[in-house]
Amino acid sequence: MTNDDGFLQGDNEPAASKVVIVGALVSALIFMVIYSILYPGQDYPVLSDFETFGSLNGGIWFFLLGAIFGIFTILATMITEATRE
Amino acid sequence: MSDILSTLAIFWLSALIFYILVHRGLWIFSDVARTMGMFMLEKALGPGIELVEGRSSSAARAWILQSVLWMMIGALFTFEGMWLAHDPTALHSLSAWGYDPTAETLAATGKAVTAFGGISMALIGCGLYILPKLLGTGLASERNGTLVSFLYSVGVFVTLIGSHDPVILGQKVLVIGTAIHVLAITAIVINQLLTVANRAGSIPMPAWLILLGLMAESFNLIAVMSTGMIEDGNGQWLMYRLQGSGFFFLSLSGIVLYASSVGSGNPLWSRTLVGATLLGGLFTLNPFGANHGTLVADLFGLDAGELAMSTNDTVIVTFLMAMASVPVIAFVANAMLTLRDSSSPGAPGLAEINLGLLAMIPVFVGSLFVQTDAVSGTNAISGLSWTIEEMSRWAVMVPLSLGSVIVLYPSITGRQLASTDRARAAFWLMGAAVLLGLMLSLTSSAIDMALLDAGVEDPSSLSHELSVAASVIFYFAVVAMILHSLNMVSGLFRGGIVGEENEVSSSIEVDTYNLASATSVSRILASGAGMETMVVPVGESDEKGSATDL
Repeated sequence: MTNDDGFLQGDNEPAASKVVIVGALVSALIFMVIYSILYPGQDYPVLSDFETFGSLNGGIWFFLLGAIFGIFTILATMITEATRE
Repeated sequence: MSDILSTLAIFWLSALIFYILVHRGLWIFSDVARTMGMFMLEKALGPGIELVEGRSSSAARAWILQSVLWMMIGALFTFEGMWLAHDPTALHSLSAWGYDPTAETLAATGKAVTAFGGISMALIGCGLYILPKLLGTGLASERNGTLVSFLYSVGVFVTLIGSHDPVILGQKVLVIGTAIHVLAITAIVINQLLTVANRAGSIPMPAWLILLGLMAESFNLIAVMSTGMIEDGNGQWLMYRLQGSGFFFLSLSGIVLYASSVGSGNPLWSRTLVGATLLGGLFTLNPFGANHGTLVADLFGLDAGELAMSTNDTVIVTFLMAMASVPVIAFVANAMLTLRDSSSPGAPGLAEINLGLLAMIPVFVGSLFVQTDAVSGTNAISGLSWTIEEMSRWAVMVPLSLGSVIVLYPSITGRQLASTDRARAAFWLMGAAVLLGLMLSLTSSAIDMALLDAGVEDPSSLSHELSVAASVIFYFAVVAMILHSLNMVSGLFRGGIVGEENEVSSSIEVDTYNLASATSVSRILASGAGMETMVVPVGESDEKGSATDL
């Protein structure tokens, strides 16, 4: 795609872009781990102010977050595939 | 005559009358009744019916896609139930939102959603595709079939809520779910009966399995309601068993046998064994599932009765459950021998069917022990019942129904799955989850039971660790179902078109086929041969061999 100013955008998506997204997610998780190491026992700012997230404990939440991520991936796939030009 | 025998007699008589009516011609389906039936299925629904499309196989497609999504949700609730069994406060933080589930409610929800949502929708969806194909006609109303799938899903959702909170605003939620379920099933029954009425020829054996499986729910209701046994604990247990033997086993057998033949490219191995499966499924009691009828009581808004059988009744039901080994073994043998030497062994779905078939007989034996233990009132191994019940669902029913859905997916949707590799990865994850995870759960339950028998009050740390490991490994089933769901949803839009693929394969049709030994025409065609391919017998010599000259 191009416009009058000469802006260009390719139609194909490079495979490496997925690597960047995964890298970004892993980095975010690492920073969250580092936070708990640097400030042990401290709640996460803002997020922990919510009653539910403030008392998130137990390993089940890691699994549930994975499942929620999967469910939203399915929903996103449905929406993007149905609306794709 | 005992109440149990009377109920069974009415069930069998209903099946016999139905068989005769269909075989001798459905007199109720005169032209007037047929027209009225079609009116009820389509025009009577007004503008609602215009919301859905009526293309060929659209009904089956809607049912199978929703079934896979419900299986995923069922796996998630089952996993949560397993987790909360060893960590009861794990989801305590959700109480801030008014949601405070327990291990029991989550396990019950997982059970209901998997059975009524996942497995049942897969069976009905595949039946909506297979039955018209076998009868040489089209489904009477694709539009109604599609629309009813959403109604059925609403019923499953109501059941999901009711499993958490049985009474809301003074209303028994599960009864509402049951009413929606019965309404949807009635529409499907009318749709399939109209399809049968339009058939072009005789009814093949797998079609009888699907048809009688679908009708078995009605026979079950007639039998248990007419004898009034639904109020009784024994009757509730019997109704659960008849649903398992009738709807679940017969429908599953018909669909898996059809999918085995389609997936492998081989003809069905034995018609006699299909007959044994059909008669055995109808006239015996399948032991798979729970060892009580509490679910039936909950679904009909009744008080759960106690399971207390007379010696005479115990002998009758134990005999009928033991006899269920005949249809189970006949079905497993027939499907396995149909699948052997498949022309496409790596085809998606066949691995799941194989897994379910391999697990079926061991789980049957385990279920038989648990059931006879319960009906005799011994209750020596009732501690294992939950895990055995989950095994019958996740190691047998889900792999078989899901495998059939995957095998038939290209025929139903007209497209291939998005990724064969993803389907294979999901199979391995599910295999690990249901075999290793549930086996660990079984071991943990056995330890707890042994300690209870020995009068040891302190809980075992080993049992706790095993139950933790079991729940973590069962999580693979959730991931597997997410991958399957993604694969199917993406396949609808991006999967290879089946017709186009056939054209491509015909362009590389082989010119000659070397026939070395006796083989079937279907196998020759599967190797890439076409109608113009020359079949060349490879010469074989009976002359005595001799040393090779150097």
